[in-house]
Amino acid sequence: MSDEPKKKTSRYDPSRRKFLKGVGVAGAGAALADSLLNRDVSAAKSKLNAPGDPISGSVNIALDINGQKRNATVEPRTTLLSTMRDRLEPGITGPKLVCDMGTCGACTVLMDGKPVYSCLVLAVDAVGKKLTTVEGLGTPENMNAVQRAFVAQDALMCGFCTPGFVTTISAYLKKNSNPTLDEVREACKGNFCRCGTYPRVFEAALAAAKAGVNG
Amino acid sequence: MPQQQPQPSPTPPRKKKIRVPRVVNGIDTMVEIEVDDVAGPGWGPNDKHTLLNHAYTRVDAPLKVSGAAHYTYDVRLPGMLYGRILGCPHAHARIKKFDASKASTMPGVKAIVQTPLTEFRFAGSPVAAVAATTPELAQDAARAIVVDYEVLPHVVRARDAIKPEAPEVLARDTRKPDEKNLRFAAKAGDPQKVEAALAASDAIVEAEYYTPRIHHACLETHGMVVDYSGGDSATIYATTQGTFTIPKDAADTLGLKESAVTATVQHMGGGFGSKFGIGIEGMLACKLSRATKTPVKLMMNRYDEFVMAGNRSGSWQKLKAGVKNDGTLTAVRATQYRLGGVGGGSQAGQPYAVYRAGEFYREVYALHTNEDSSIAMRAPGHPQASFAMESLLDELAYKIGMDPVAFRKKNMRDEVYHRQLDRGAREINWAKRNTKAGAGAGPLKRGIGCGAGTWGGGGNDQCKVEVTVGRDGSVLVAVGTQDLGTGTRTYTRAIVAEELGLQIRDVVEQIGNSKLGGANPSGGSTTAASLSPSVKDAAIKTRLALAEKIAPLLGNPKPEEIAFAGGNVSAGEKSLSWKQACASLPAAGLTAHGVWRQDLQSRGVHGVCFAEVEVDVETGKVRPIKIVQVQDGGLPLNRLTMESQLNGGMIQSLGMAFWEERVMDAHLGMQLNPGFGDYKLPGSLEMPEFVPLIDDDDKREVVIGIAEACIIPSLGALANAVFNACGVRVRELPITPDKILSVLMSERRTA
Repeated sequence: MSDEPKKKTSRYDPSRRKFLKGVGVAGAGAALADSLLNRDVSAAKSKLNAPGDPISGSVNIALDINGQKRNATVEPRTTLLSTMRDRLEPGITGPKLVCDMGTCGACTVLMDGKPVYSCLVLAVDAVGKKLTTVEGLGTPENMNAVQRAFVAQDALMCGFCTPGFVTTISAYLKKNSNPTLDEVREACKGNFCRCGTYPRVFEAALAAAKAGVNG
Repeated sequence: MPQQQPQPSPTPPRKKKIRVPRVVNGIDTMVEIEVDDVAGPGWGPNDKHTLLNHAYTRVDAPLKVSGAAHYTYDVRLPGMLYGRILGCPHAHARIKKFDASKASTMPGVKAIVQTPLTEFRFAGSPVAAVAATTPELAQDAARAIVVDYEVLPHVVRARDAIKPEAPEVLARDTRKPDEKNLRFAAKAGDPQKVEAALAASDAIVEAEYYTPRIHHACLETHGMVVDYSGGDSATIYATTQGTFTIPKDAADTLGLKESAVTATVQHMGGGFGSKFGIGIEGMLACKLSRATKTPVKLMMNRYDEFVMAGNRSGSWQKLKAGVKNDGTLTAVRATQYRLGGVGGGSQAGQPYAVYRAGEFYREVYALHTNEDSSIAMRAPGHPQASFAMESLLDELAYKIGMDPVAFRKKNMRDEVYHRQLDRGAREINWAKRNTKAGAGAGPLKRGIGCGAGTWGGGGNDQCKVEVTVGRDGSVLVAVGTQDLGTGTRTYTRAIVAEELGLQIRDVVEQIGNSKLGGANPSGGSTTAASLSPSVKDAAIKTRLALAEKIAPLLGNPKPEEIAFAGGNVSAGEKSLSWKQACASLPAAGLTAHGVWRQDLQSRGVHGVCFAEVEVDVETGKVRPIKIVQVQDGGLPLNRLTMESQLNGGMIQSLGMAFWEERVMDAHLGMQLNPGFGDYKLPGSLEMPEFVPLIDDDDKREVVIGIAEACIIPSLGALANAVFNACGVRVRELPITPDKILSVLMSERRTA
């Protein structure tokens, strides 16, 4: 696989996939990211310093996830979701791949504290951001208030949507620590459930708000 | 992990006759059955349990809420390849040429396999699959496969497919050469008696009802991870509703003995009837793994999941019914088309089993279109039939000016429904409802409707459960069953804990592995009624075996007189803690084997629903306000998870009522909404108030499954609530604003 940047005289190919595969653009925080971006690649690539310079082929990046520095080799088009699930070793599989196109919320992670769909974030754009997944919010032995409330209210069934909801609600309660039911519903509108846990998800969010969110 | 030991054939047990409640022809009846005379203690009265029939949290919840639960989609193995399916883009086509030469030389591509089909009858039909080192490279390679098709005519709309000149979806059946897309399936009843009864009726309603194809929309798509590296065994991680539906077909495809393949499913992300067996996706995954001698993960992407993973068949029903002024349903005549794509579809026979008509006649057909075959989906055929029947009954009730609840009571087969209807009516405040549909100044108008359902939910004898008590006091219950999010793990622990006088946390369960004791697949709402009696049997045998061992320490009482409660074991004045009792066991502990006890379960549940909606008659938008569902199920194993099941049934029903439908482009023959952006699932902003009510007046001391029963009654209730609110009878689901407005606007024009 060639690491050379595509020549400007190469045959014009309008397909989006080829564009994304061939050429990516380093994220906005590229200057900051230089310290995280491992550049043990070809000499041509070592000239990539300024934001907006193209990257292509295979890129080694480091991500700040759940307080840990995690290394991965990705293509420019690889999503943050796929990076966590398929490329990190060991993988981070709390965020789920359900639609892969930003229509269901199962892949929700926090990027600098704000919920984002990790299937819509390119891994290279997540460099330099503080990322939190559901695993970073609590463990089975040490759950946060939202997770404890989900257990108590039975706000889950198959559980596949649950990491997304827990992540969304944990972030929301930090923003609004005493929401109404309507505010909870509004906050959850980007997360879908098929088993039918919504009413108990809402109850869990309100119960967690009452208990006070920690972490 | 305990190995399943072959059991020596026991001498056949004595038989005895007992009387148990059964639903016969829709009526609760006491019948005499023959059972093995080794039964032993039953569940006891439903209100006397210490754990069961209470609300207790799921034991797998902490794992799921913290992202620590591992599903098939999460599995990662060293060197694992990623599989990707290539589907046919045409609704009907034959392969002329298949060229994977370029694809197979692309970076990271390790194998390409074809499906055995050469003619494809729906867009998205799987043609081939690729295995590559990353998901992106697999996708690139799939796109690089060049296939030449001979494109053939297609038809995707039922109303087009029924025409004699429509393109043919299937090859002709040589036994019935005159049938094309409309194929006769069954008939029942007497058409002449129906006509006579209709002629003698005081009022008649004739109408057509239509429900579209609906998707399971499991969040975890179909697929599997095949852990095979060319040796003589393999492990299959499958997102499945049936642990034991996997090994044989996987083994056949891998070229292994069935006993050399282990299937495992610890958690799975939704099934709703769609995940039994390895499927085409599993067959392709096994083929890729066999070809590469490398582990392969093949999970369908969301597009494939919509177009080829199966769905709930649509329905087109032509009903005509007559009624006397006193509310007696005199006759029902039905022509029922099952819309199952290339498959036969499913639809409960009219009149829907909750009700009895004086006379009936029905003809049932399959009407084929170039779409993937419908498959089982939560209560197959029932919501479709119930929607039509409940709408029809409502139309008849309004026509003769009779209260819809009273009208239903008059025509129901089973009096259990009466008490459920009364309770639901009280809860929704049926008395405040408008007796004239559409009354009120508007533009926001509220209405209430009702519906009823029925289901079996009985079990079978496939579950073989093992309980092992360790010298250290540990308790392990093991069986190869699967937990779909239904709470199976949790009640399995609770049954054992209650029997042994322990807490749920004192018991550990092991499930979801085909090397454990056998279990039935989770279909037909048969799991609880198959598994719980076997768990109870194992728990009772464990208690009695342990009691026998420690009797000398308690003054030699009879084993069955030793009490296991509150973490202690006691008889008379003497008492030991659980740990002390277990310390007397040998090093290998104690193991008991549980088998099914027919007397601990039954079949036959009911269920009613009352729904309140608000219709904005200026925009046509319907807002659900409150849904009340009353559901019986014999002994509720866990009230918390049972209520969640009821909520889930109501919510899926909401989706069918107002938002969900597969939309096909007639010209292209493709699905236009194969994604959650355009296939609208119920979301948080649409949620009404839910009132799930367990019918505790059901005193049957047996376990019966309710997972499917609880999705049935709400659909008719919602449609009837819409009519009561705005006076518009929408007979084609989903009930969308345009359908309401077009009627209201034409009424205003003619007013």
